[in-house]
Amino acid sequence: MNDLRLTERDLDNRTARMTARKVQVHYGQNHALKDVDVDILDKTVTAFIGPSGCGKSTFLRCLNRMNDTIAACRVEGQITLEGEDIYDRRVDPVQLRAKVGMVFQKPNPFPKSIYDNVAYGPRIHGLARNRAELDEVVEKSLRRAALWAEVKDRLHAPGTGLSGGQQQRLCIARAVATEPEVLLMDEPCSALDPIATAQVEELIDELRENFSVVIVTHSMQQAARVSQKTAFFHMGHLVEHGDTAQIFTNPRDPRTESYITGRIG
Amino acid sequence: MTPAAPASSLLVPDARTQARNRAEARFRLYGLAAVSAAILMLAVLMGSILSNGLSAFRQSYITIPVTLDAATLDKAGTRDPSGLRQVSATAYGKLIARNLQAALAAKGIATDGLKPKDIAALLSEDAGARLRNMVLADPGLIGRTIDADLLASGRVDGFLKGRVTEESAAKDSKIKPAQLTLVSAMKGAGMIGLRLNPAFLTAPDASEKRPEAAGLGVAIIGSAYMMIVVLALSLPIGVAAAVYLEEFAPRNRFTDLIEVNISNLAAVPSIVFGILGLAAFINFAHLPRSAPLVGGLVLTLMTLPRIIIPARAALKAVPPSIRDAALGIGASRMQTVLHHVLPLAAPGILTGMIIGLAQALGETAPLLLIGMVAFVRDYPGLPPAGLADPATALPVQIYNWTQRADPAFVERASGAIIVLLVFLMLMNGAAILLRRRFERRW
Ligand SMILES: Nc1ncnc2c1ncn2[C@@H]1O[C@H](COP(=O)(O)OP(=O)(O)OP(=O)(O)O)[C@@H](O)[C@H]1O
Ligand SMILES: [Mg+2]
Repeated sequence: MNDLRLTERDLDNRTARMTARKVQVHYGQNHALKDVDVDILDKTVTAFIGPSGCGKSTFLRCLNRMNDTIAACRVEGQITLEGEDIYDRRVDPVQLRAKVGMVFQKPNPFPKSIYDNVAYGPRIHGLARNRAELDEVVEKSLRRAALWAEVKDRLHAPGTGLSGGQQQRLCIARAVATEPEVLLMDEPCSALDPIATAQVEELIDELRENFSVVIVTHSMQQAARVSQKTAFFHMGHLVEHGDTAQIFTNPRDPRTESYITGRIG
Repeated sequence: MTPAAPASSLLVPDARTQARNRAEARFRLYGLAAVSAAILMLAVLMGSILSNGLSAFRQSYITIPVTLDAATLDKAGTRDPSGLRQVSATAYGKLIARNLQAALAAKGIATDGLKPKDIAALLSEDAGARLRNMVLADPGLIGRTIDADLLASGRVDGFLKGRVTEESAAKDSKIKPAQLTLVSAMKGAGMIGLRLNPAFLTAPDASEKRPEAAGLGVAIIGSAYMMIVVLALSLPIGVAAAVYLEEFAPRNRFTDLIEVNISNLAAVPSIVFGILGLAAFINFAHLPRSAPLVGGLVLTLMTLPRIIIPARAALKAVPPSIRDAALGIGASRMQTVLHHVLPLAAPGILTGMIIGLAQALGETAPLLLIGMVAFVRDYPGLPPAGLADPATALPVQIYNWTQRADPAFVERASGAIIVLLVFLMLMNGAAILLRRRFERRW
């Protein structure tokens, strides 16, 4: 309880990095998200929880406009990054996605070498001036993703030849290599063993020093361990949003309570 | 009380299992029969083509000493090239005929009952022309006696290859049995024999009267030029169209319409493209007839839909998660396509491309309409200008030769089919190699 109060205290002086107001998402006729209002705070881990199909991934994809690639998807409402509307006509989604990185639900490494997977982002964004710098970025990213020890001797082996959990950590390394301001993680630990999970959680905690992290998870324990803020989604509605400690110890909505105690979902 | 059911043993298959196993065995048998039938037909096809056509790569030559008499070939005695050109191929022909008679006399081979004209007819009408070319290339030969390999006539060649016999000669206006007897005697003396004939691949076509001189040179160059045109146009256009339609185009009625049209175009008979090419390129744009450029353009029209469809399929087969991954770290759509999607789709695109090219290489009908069936004896020039020179194409040449009366052309046509098949196999081999190379990058 003590640590939770500590985190609560230093939350107060943090500003909202991203804000979402009255966000509606339709997939054709399917109204997938209804009136979602969330703030993603600076240097904070926000967890999205909720039963399967409630729209967590959909909302996450709104935050870096990955929904643009789905023809049937329509997003309404306002989402801002640093006060600027990311759905403004002048915004280039490519630039946005360099600032708001993403780790997907299913590991999706490129069919290239481990090194090239991690180096791809820095290369296209010109983040390394020379080979040595690039090597450094790759090593740092792989270390952050707790993968370095396992792959340092085979950086030029194909990334698709790794195990599922290793592939997911490779995707995390690839996402952090571009130093995004906000990192969106869609169930990053669903394919990981407890040790790798603990390492990723440590990484998330470390990333919090510089970035905002949004993590979707089905594990209540994980949400409680890593996040300072929690948002509970249910059937397209944002039911409750607040400090993690409050959500888990004293939920206001009965649906939240039944979900975290395991009665719905 | 009912008696307990006999315990079923795993060691004894029950009736259902036996029936299932029998059905499976039958199914395998059908498959095996189908494959065997296909292999058998292929073997028959290859056997007939090879047995008819392989002999086209060998040709009969008469080897005799020929005295290049300066008095006939260079009356002025100056070795001046323009003066040497005044002497016609016919004059060379007469010179050879005289030398042949002399050689026969020297070897003591009897020529009773044969007129000098009949003896000269053993040689191809092309023999004089070839000797003339040799002398024009090297005037220093004049005045010397050389051992010349002279092309024998088509009938003599047929006799050595077993196609022409004494019986067939009796009914043939072009050769007499007595001539064949003489050929047998010459063969005994080692004056005539079959040897490898590279001219079949390099020489231009020859007229109806001299099948022995006909070659595929112009047709091979014409086909190669057309393939260059098809490759240069349809690879970039086809890949760009496929990438645009698959990766960038919005899904709406207009793109649906384009899709349907591409599928329909792929099914349009090739001769229709020939008519289109005739109307658009020759009658409207006034491009020259019989030119590989026009042939290549027509074949490009025909090949494009056949390339776009497999290219789109290859792009579609790239998992969407790869696109998400690239877009998710801030790659533009262009970067996503160029860095990730295209390399993964490349083996499929290339395979489609090469199969499309192979189809174009074997296409005849549209080329007939744009005049590539013409009789062309001059080699086209070097590209790019040469692309507009008249030429023929391999499949058209085959068609052409099968239309001719002289049975010697049947052998030529089969030989040309072998050449065409070898080119197709080389292209397919290249497709497999390229695919392997790209796949090895994972
Ligand atoms: N590409 C799509 N096209 C159409 N409908 C979609 C698409 N993606 C998601 N949906 C719909 O949107 C709703 C929310 O889906 P979403 O993927 O956001 O759920 P989720 O909360 O992430 O579930 P999970 O925990 O299982 O990942 C679902 O009803 C789903 O059917
Ligand atoms: Mg999801």
